[in-house]
Amino acid sequence: MLHCHYTTMNIPGNTSGTDVSVLERQQARMKWQQQQQEGLSNGNDHRFRARVEIKPDPDLQYEWPDFSDACQDQLIPPLMTDHNVKKRKTHEDYKQKAVSKENGVKDKKIKGCSDENSTETSLKEKPKVVETQKQEYIHVRARRGQATDSHSLAERVRREKISERMKYLQDLVPGCNKITGKAGMLDEIINYVQSLQKQVEFLSMKLATLQPRLDFDIDSLIMKEMFEIPAIGYSSEVANSTYFQVNSLLEMGNSPIDTMLRRSTGGPVSIPEAFVLSSCFNQMQPGVTWDGDLHNLYRMEIQQESTTIPFQPHKFTGSYEGSNLKMEL
Amino acid sequence: MHTSSKLKSEFIKKWVKGLQICCSSKKNMDFLERKKKIKLCADIALACAKNSTSWSIALISEAKKHDENKTLVDNLLRPESQIKPQKTNHQMCASHKRVRSKKILKKSHHVCQRMKKMGPPKSNIATYIAKRLVKKRTQVLKRLVPGGESMDEFSLIEEALDYILSLKVQVDVMRTLANATEVLNQSDSSIFD
Repeated sequence: MLHCHYTTMNIPGNTSGTDVSVLERQQARMKWQQQQQEGLSNGNDHRFRARVEIKPDPDLQYEWPDFSDACQDQLIPPLMTDHNVKKRKTHEDYKQKAVSKENGVKDKKIKGCSDENSTETSLKEKPKVVETQKQEYIHVRARRGQATDSHSLAERVRREKISERMKYLQDLVPGCNKITGKAGMLDEIINYVQSLQKQVEFLSMKLATLQPRLDFDIDSLIMKEMFEIPAIGYSSEVANSTYFQVNSLLEMGNSPIDTMLRRSTGGPVSIPEAFVLSSCFNQMQPGVTWDGDLHNLYRMEIQQESTTIPFQPHKFTGSYEGSNLKMEL
Repeated sequence: MHTSSKLKSEFIKKWVKGLQICCSSKKNMDFLERKKKIKLCADIALACAKNSTSWSIALISEAKKHDENKTLVDNLLRPESQIKPQKTNHQMCASHKRVRSKKILKKSHHVCQRMKKMGPPKSNIATYIAKRLVKKRTQVLKRLVPGGESMDEFSLIEEALDYILSLKVQVDVMRTLANATEVLNQSDSSIFD
């Protein structure tokens, strides 16, 4: 099976492949050399010149001896396209910058194809090269029986990009596994974004109702709990879980709150409650992750609110012991 | 998930900070004002926490247009504020140029196509309808995602992806906070019963 390894370019750079493209490659190189001279004569950055000078050598080295490599590449198409996609993704911005900075040396339709070697060198020189006008190339493989002119190839590149992004979105948006068309996917995305935005609105409204003043948040919550002794039993358990929750929210930055909390556990509370507090706290403290236990906390709270019987926590050994202590009280 | 937890902590720090700034400026707001402030702070904090994406830049620049928000935004952006504005302008200019030139091309293309389309192609009507649907929906999506107007289709999808992730984070954090406050309030009230 023969696959044509074909590269799209309007600015000629490099092609590698079969007979048909050899002629084109030669033409391309001629044109490119002309353009190089044009670029030099236009008095561009010295860096541009440097880039241009670097370019031919890796191209030449790449093109001729690499038929075998090209063949090997063709046998593993998905890898290649992934690689391309990554290159395209990182270089898309550069490409746009290059286009916008152009002074007329190149025409507008710069697509380009990126070479293996040239991308490596470019990645090494990344901080400088980004600023200069960089020519980029996209490898596109024309499959057997498909059109090989540059327009349809560009179209296919675009379509592949979009379909790959759609796959990511399928993972992200719930319930999208069965939908395959672009229109349906877009519909789901729109619905999901709208629902998330409405949730944000609703939650902000809820927070506004819950708090009489705006500077609320963690400080005031914790201050309240510290200095008002919570009732024995139900609420202290809840308060502990919320302490912990809220504390884990701020664990990164707010050390004074931590110290306040720790002081409060030994503070002016009655002894059994102090015991409950400290035991729960100490046991919950180490080795808790945000995501894993959040659902448990929710479940706990929901159960507590709905029923007053002692709950069965799934993973929280600390709180379970706390509830035992409460029963004894 | 470690990136999202990092984002969460960043977000909540900035949000709290923003709310404190808001509160210090004005006391005794009524319910609706409070709600607006909360939401605004949350949005800006999220955008600041997620600094390098195009939708967040668009959100921030949108917020900066109103003078009252300016101090808030600047404070929240403080560690990166020097870099931000230049990048914003440049990116927006570049993207606008891009979009404008594309729009011109598209328009001429459409006109030509419409001239051609008058005659035959009832055979392709399914694809035609499908394309119309897709186009309509991308327009809607562009309106939803902040800064989406000036983006081509591909980057629009990327931005939408990113935006969805950050919205999820935002909803998570706000929900936890709301639950915590609710529970604490309940416990407070149960004390006094």
